[in-house]
Amino acid sequence: MCGYAGKFLDIDLSSLSIRDLTFDEDTIKKYIGGVGIAAKLVYDLVPSDIDALEPENVLCFSVGSLVGTNVPTACRTEVSAKSPATGLFGTSNSGSFWGSELKFAGYDGVIIRGKSQEPVYVYINNNNVEILSASHVWGKDCWQTIEVLRRELEDEELQIALIGPGGENLCRFASIENGPYDAWGRTGLGAVMGSKNLKAVAVRGSNSIKVYDKKEFIKLVNQARSSLNNSPFFGPFSKFGTMLATVPYYEFGALPGRNFQTGVIDDWLETRSRKLVHQYSKRGISCMACPIACAHWVEVKEGPYKGLRIKDMEVTPLIGFAAGCDVNNIPAVAKLTEVCQRYGIDMVSAAGTIAFTMELFQRKIITEQEIGFKIDWGNEEGIFKLLEMIAKREGIGDILAEGTKAAAQIIPGAQDYAIHIKGLEIPMADPRGRWSTWTFGTLTNIRGGDHLRNRNPVENLRFNENPVPYRTEKFGLSDELYEELDIFEGEKEKIFDFQTRDVNIAAMSKWAEDLISVYNTLGVCIRPPVLQSIGPNLLSKLYTSLTGIDISAEELMEAGERIWNLQKLFNIRAGEKIEDSVFPKRFYEEEMGSGASKGRKLDRVKVQEVLDDYYEIRGWDRKTGIPREEKLKQLGLV
Amino acid sequence: MTKGIVINPGKCTGCTICSLTCTITYNNDFNLNKAHIKIRKNDMEGTFLISFSSTCLTCGKCAEVCPTGCLSMLVASF
Repeated sequence: MCGYAGKFLDIDLSSLSIRDLTFDEDTIKKYIGGVGIAAKLVYDLVPSDIDALEPENVLCFSVGSLVGTNVPTACRTEVSAKSPATGLFGTSNSGSFWGSELKFAGYDGVIIRGKSQEPVYVYINNNNVEILSASHVWGKDCWQTIEVLRRELEDEELQIALIGPGGENLCRFASIENGPYDAWGRTGLGAVMGSKNLKAVAVRGSNSIKVYDKKEFIKLVNQARSSLNNSPFFGPFSKFGTMLATVPYYEFGALPGRNFQTGVIDDWLETRSRKLVHQYSKRGISCMACPIACAHWVEVKEGPYKGLRIKDMEVTPLIGFAAGCDVNNIPAVAKLTEVCQRYGIDMVSAAGTIAFTMELFQRKIITEQEIGFKIDWGNEEGIFKLLEMIAKREGIGDILAEGTKAAAQIIPGAQDYAIHIKGLEIPMADPRGRWSTWTFGTLTNIRGGDHLRNRNPVENLRFNENPVPYRTEKFGLSDELYEELDIFEGEKEKIFDFQTRDVNIAAMSKWAEDLISVYNTLGVCIRPPVLQSIGPNLLSKLYTSLTGIDISAEELMEAGERIWNLQKLFNIRAGEKIEDSVFPKRFYEEEMGSGASKGRKLDRVKVQEVLDDYYEIRGWDRKTGIPREEKLKQLGLV
Repeated sequence: MTKGIVINPGKCTGCTICSLTCTITYNNDFNLNKAHIKIRKNDMEGTFLISFSSTCLTCGKCAEVCPTGCLSMLVASF
């Protein structure tokens, strides 16, 4: 079998059994790999009426189909299960080197069922798979555990997916860490791993990944590399990484300042924006096969965090802590990042939960006596303490470890300050300050309030319309690049109005969600330079020349749509209702107070109109949000 | 530059595109053990060491695809 390792590893921790699992050709063509196979497995194997922390939940690691090759940025693996944070389809995507190592070991993925009686870890060394005791590392943080396991197995490059105290103590937004600095962060999958008494999955591989048509594949890889290098986003992303976004979102007045109470922070540009990147960044750091190197190796030379060395300055935790919690310096955010990585907790949900707590303290809804200390805005020491209490479920941390939605149901008077959608804390941007396909996408996202499953590849970060037209946004590419954009002609007509340079947000959302599903299936990164330059036509040819399985661009996008719909079906079976797709009350009722977005709030009726358009374009019922029978038939899901 | 010697070129980001390209250039598969150029990663420290095997043919493919350009000087010095 070319391109694929050809099998999954199927481990039942209740019986300590290990076996191989293979898929027929029809399943591979319909679901391909990555999130596709993961969604299929979780949909088929996980009962809808269980709590996510019960042994019947199934945790699925699924490597993207192009991973292990030199296709630019092909390194990513999806992990899926029922989410402890939302009760819906839980899924997260991470790059680095774990996925390629698993594929070189001879596996396209790993399924974990059941629950071990004692703490264990799984060691995969090519076809030699062992379930070993983890009693000696249970309770240790992630960095300590990596050090111990690498020493124990005498392999300094061992790739390890693991949990920290956050996952062990079933914090509902615990992450699965991917080596020391990366993570499957969102939707609380670390708690699923903790509930199974599984500390780590350590991998080493030295097998081959065969190529079906080498000459054609090399030609297409060179084409992809050239296209990516010529993207107008490539240079800026190589220079600043994701910190690029710190300036426009400040200028739009769209920061989630102080738990979404303000879209601007006065000294933002001088103290915590991309202007400071090269003060701390020593060089770029790449994931496997990625020429962009958007991560930074950070070294802090002075101040209270002197000596800190870490792969960091990623915009999401920066905006979460520096805007959401008003932490006023980059070294402190780097230290908070380290703490989250050691404890194994999702930085987005951690920052959102702590910002929520800070606002409750500001409004005297909770007191110093109840917390144990003051937790005013920007209080770094207080945040460190709260993170520890959450990871260890101590004191008020036991309530906060349930996430903001559940915590707000426990703490009287807290409901209006819990900023989440479907139980998942919202990152990055306030839609009152920046209404776009991207911010609208947090409403339709399969996994709840999250920004990484819908992204307009032609977003214009130099322009913010006022008043907000809601149904459209302006696109930000030159005419030449618009012509080159790999979007099917029929779809282009639905998405773009070339005369007005408008993008239809509902139509673009469907295209972008399906496209990102394809990316997460093939294991390619969704950073803007890639999203803008490598589309379904090139990806389908790369896949065909690698695997020998003939797939057209249209079939690839239909697979993306099928995978999105299957996740939606899981959510509906798990109890999701159409009224759950709603922004927090604050966004509709409170005007932005200052900056470029001053006076703006969302119009509930107009937001609903865009949602109605979206359901119609998706082939979903407008009244229930459920995919219609004819749509499911078209996708082969009934 | 001598084959077999391990060096830290300073600018290497660890992407491993050089090794992946090397292995597919001379084989019909991807297998990093078959690559003539190897990247040894210390991910905790964010450092990367490069070594060329004695079987390296000095074709320069790795330098062509290196995103940072740090391999160009090395290969040119063979």
